[in-house]
Amino acid sequence: MTEPIISFKNFSFQYRSLSEPTLKDINLDIFPGEKILIAGPSGSGKSTLAHCINGLIPFTYTGTISGEYQLKGKRPDELSIFEISRTVGTILQDQDGQFIGLSVGEDVAFAYENECMPTSDMKARVESALGVVDMLPYMEHSPHDLSGGQKQRVSLAGVLSMDVDVLLFDEPLANLDPASGKHAMELMEELHQQHKQTMIIIEHRVEDVLEQPIDRIIVMSEGRIAAVGTPDELLASSVMHEHGLREPLYISALKYAGVRFQAEDHPSKLTELSRRADVQEKLRTWLDDGDRGMNIETAAPLVSMKQVRFSYDGEEDVIQGLSLDIGQGERIALLGNNGAGKSTLSHLLTGIVKPSAGEIYFRDERINKWSIRRRGKHIGYVMQNPNHMITQQMIKDEIALGLRMKGLPTDVVQEKVEETLRICGLYGYRDWPITALSYGQKKRVTIASILAMEPELMILDEPTAGQDYKHYTEFMDFIVDLADRGMSFLFITHDMHLALEYTDRAFVLHDGACIAQGETSNVLTNVAAIQQANLKETSLGVLAREAAIDAPEAFVRRFIQHERKGRRS
Amino acid sequence: MSQSKFNFTTKTVVAIGIGAALYGLLGSISIPVFTQTALRPAIAILTIFGAMFGPVVGLLSGAIGHIITDLIWGGGTIWWTWVAGSAISGLGMGLVFMKSSFHVNEGRAAKADLWFLGIVGSLAMAIGYGFSSVLDIYLYGEPPVKMFAQFLWATGANVIVHLVLGVPAVAGLISRNRKNSNLTVLK
Amino acid sequence: MSKSGMLYVDKDTLFHRMDGAAKLIVFAVWTVIVFLFQDLRVFVPLFAIGLILLFLAQIPYKRIRLLVWIMVVFNLFNSIFTLLITPSYGSEVTGTATVVLDLGYNVLTLETCFYVLTLTMKYMSLMPITVLFIFTTHPTRFASSLNRIGVPYKIAYAFNIAFRYVPDLQTEFRNISNAMQARGMGFGKGEGSMRDRVKHFISIAIPLVQSSLHRIEVVSNAMDLRGFGRHQKRTWYSATAWRRADYIIAALSVVAILAAIAVRLSGFGRFWYPFS
Repeated sequence: MTEPIISFKNFSFQYRSLSEPTLKDINLDIFPGEKILIAGPSGSGKSTLAHCINGLIPFTYTGTISGEYQLKGKRPDELSIFEISRTVGTILQDQDGQFIGLSVGEDVAFAYENECMPTSDMKARVESALGVVDMLPYMEHSPHDLSGGQKQRVSLAGVLSMDVDVLLFDEPLANLDPASGKHAMELMEELHQQHKQTMIIIEHRVEDVLEQPIDRIIVMSEGRIAAVGTPDELLASSVMHEHGLREPLYISALKYAGVRFQAEDHPSKLTELSRRADVQEKLRTWLDDGDRGMNIETAAPLVSMKQVRFSYDGEEDVIQGLSLDIGQGERIALLGNNGAGKSTLSHLLTGIVKPSAGEIYFRDERINKWSIRRRGKHIGYVMQNPNHMITQQMIKDEIALGLRMKGLPTDVVQEKVEETLRICGLYGYRDWPITALSYGQKKRVTIASILAMEPELMILDEPTAGQDYKHYTEFMDFIVDLADRGMSFLFITHDMHLALEYTDRAFVLHDGACIAQGETSNVLTNVAAIQQANLKETSLGVLAREAAIDAPEAFVRRFIQHERKGRRS
Repeated sequence: MSQSKFNFTTKTVVAIGIGAALYGLLGSISIPVFTQTALRPAIAILTIFGAMFGPVVGLLSGAIGHIITDLIWGGGTIWWTWVAGSAISGLGMGLVFMKSSFHVNEGRAAKADLWFLGIVGSLAMAIGYGFSSVLDIYLYGEPPVKMFAQFLWATGANVIVHLVLGVPAVAGLISRNRKNSNLTVLK
Repeated sequence: MSKSGMLYVDKDTLFHRMDGAAKLIVFAVWTVIVFLFQDLRVFVPLFAIGLILLFLAQIPYKRIRLLVWIMVVFNLFNSIFTLLITPSYGSEVTGTATVVLDLGYNVLTLETCFYVLTLTMKYMSLMPITVLFIFTTHPTRFASSLNRIGVPYKIAYAFNIAFRYVPDLQTEFRNISNAMQARGMGFGKGEGSMRDRVKHFISIAIPLVQSSLHRIEVVSNAMDLRGFGRHQKRTWYSATAWRRADYIIAALSVVAILAAIAVRLSGFGRFWYPFS
């Protein structure tokens, strides 16, 4: 091989404000043309490593560096952030933050403008960059008319326009629905085939990244590199699991079923394994081992919508005659692509908007006309980003906020706050300022602040977004405990895994109508509905089909059973 | 990062833009007190952005934000004289940033600094809106007595917002950012 | 306003084709001329010309209806306010007093009524040109135009950032306030005492400011990573070249301002009162 384009030697970094180094003893060479996945749980240092590669460290974030880092044979302090940005192009996780221009064309031209390129030269180059990412027809559009996936493509075009050697993707899948994520990975592979740039993808959603070829995976954990290897090597080992990463679901299923495989068996290619007779045999035996059927009793409806319609402009219905029941103590997934009407539906339930036709009932009472505040006593709503909800400085005060608003006496408030803190596992932190908490803990505080109001139904908007597998599991187990106390949950999500493992029933929305509903394992193996709703079939369903198992939904159920048993024990 | 006073970094540019967007957006909102009189909470944005980013950001986000409010709610006119008033107010709110004992992001502030923010900010508004009123007299020919009444009202209302919403919000941000040492998980 | 918060109306007229910087010059000259005079005989023609230009720019009335109403309401209140507080101010200016009404604490004079009419027309004569500028200039052209007339590009770019994120912040503000209401907070009249409402307002402001600070960090990183601020100058994708029309109009503007200054220096243009 040639000289590495990126090279770390005994590299450590400590942020100025922290007492411990975030990166410890990193040794890593990345060669031109490689496609690399850097995976690791939150706090493993993967984002910090990305900052070192694109020059934000040391130019924006300062701290102590020891050891050596070289980009194309040069140390970053011999360069400026501008020079680095000509070699390394970064696509950030936050699509709105990166899309700076007021139109698509202007955003792609941003780097040219800064280089003082004459305006007349820009047009043709912008067009060709947009052509590469298939966004040419949108050249005049404003960012507010684009979806997250489209914005990401524009950002990619903006970076490609700089002719960089290295493309660095910082959690490219974090804010995309499954179909857009798949699309993004395909586009990245296509670009890699054509231009042979070095590609570095930072992501903890390993399964989605591995749907396209990857040369090497680097697993990070606690600031160190825990493992390096090809996808096949790492999938055959248990490294990912040990370091808090989610293996692809089908790999877990194979392992549960007792299938043994080595790197030579190419576990990264699902079909190579699923076609083998011995694998199919093992999967069948495993399936037959499970208890059949998980009957769900239909509980009395707590909230029901009957033929609800809604339109913002009085012409086009965003919600088209939707009926659904949410039973007491049920956990329900509301699935659908962006723009399917998921948030409108939650606005209808919480009273932010009122239906133009149809009825909404809470128990037996018609609540169409109830205000947001009145419904808030029965239907709680937790936003995706906890930072958008937290207003107080101390945890106790945040949880007490709604109770005080109700005008309850101080001692009652205190009692309820303490009880809520205990339930949510936050009692030990009761005197902590909220800023000292991690993202996942903040998320818990927001749930606690709603829980204290004792609503009967809680709506959670993308509850697991931005959380790695370990925190995600902890968080969802906590939700399951709450559900066991009789509270109902509606999860608005496009995370198939969440729906699969933690909900009893699922609704699939598409263009404001419900196109599938029922037991989650059935809904998620309903290939037609999934495709129509721009969702993605889980790899479990694919494995079952490829292995010629007659009832994919039974296979999926078996998997969930196994996982739940594993978690409880 | 060390805090440079007048350096026009990218962050300064973005802070001006976002501050202006917030000020412009909130410019249309008012808390009704009595009939026909309202407090405009937007002023608190200038207090916060001035204190966090300094006089340059305060000045420019005040000016640009005011222009944005006028684009939407100005009745087809940009009230340049009052744009100047907002700019001067923002500048004054930012002066506290120059004190070495004061740093919002690091959670550092002496009590005197908050007094300084309250008083200097209020004075800056008096000067700023005084300037606007004088300009209104000379450029538009508004009667001086009427402008004096308007000046008193505008300054009074905005000083109230600055002191009741703005300064406490800054104090809140400072105590949020204060280093949390010795936190232990309680039993 | 459209979803993106844009006021721009897409048409193909002379004003739409004109370069933003040329329009800014017209706008500035117009404003200065209005400031120079206090004469109804200047404002009425300016207002009329402005209306004709607006008509030529094909801006639908529907889009500016709100602005017109705000202007009307403003003028009404401003006039009443002026008449009540300084009912004889017009007489101070002219030195004559034609009493219309005895208010007890003071007298209302015809001179003041005419003064207030002049003042109203002064405000009105600024309106068409401002509307013309706002509605025919695409926001992407705004920053480059400012830069062209001499505003440093970093300040000009702050306008771009502000325009870009107003709609995003508005959505965020709405979401936060909805979530707060669901937790039982009220902001309107009758929903808690004044003190409570102020507290509630802080409650929305804190998360909004926190997330804005986060946004500032992300956006400035993104800009640094794409080379913003590297050079003393920058070029603009949306800049247009000056055409003959732009040069002619800019030249006319300069002539107009010089003429106006000359006229003003000759003594014409102070408060004009026809009945004395």
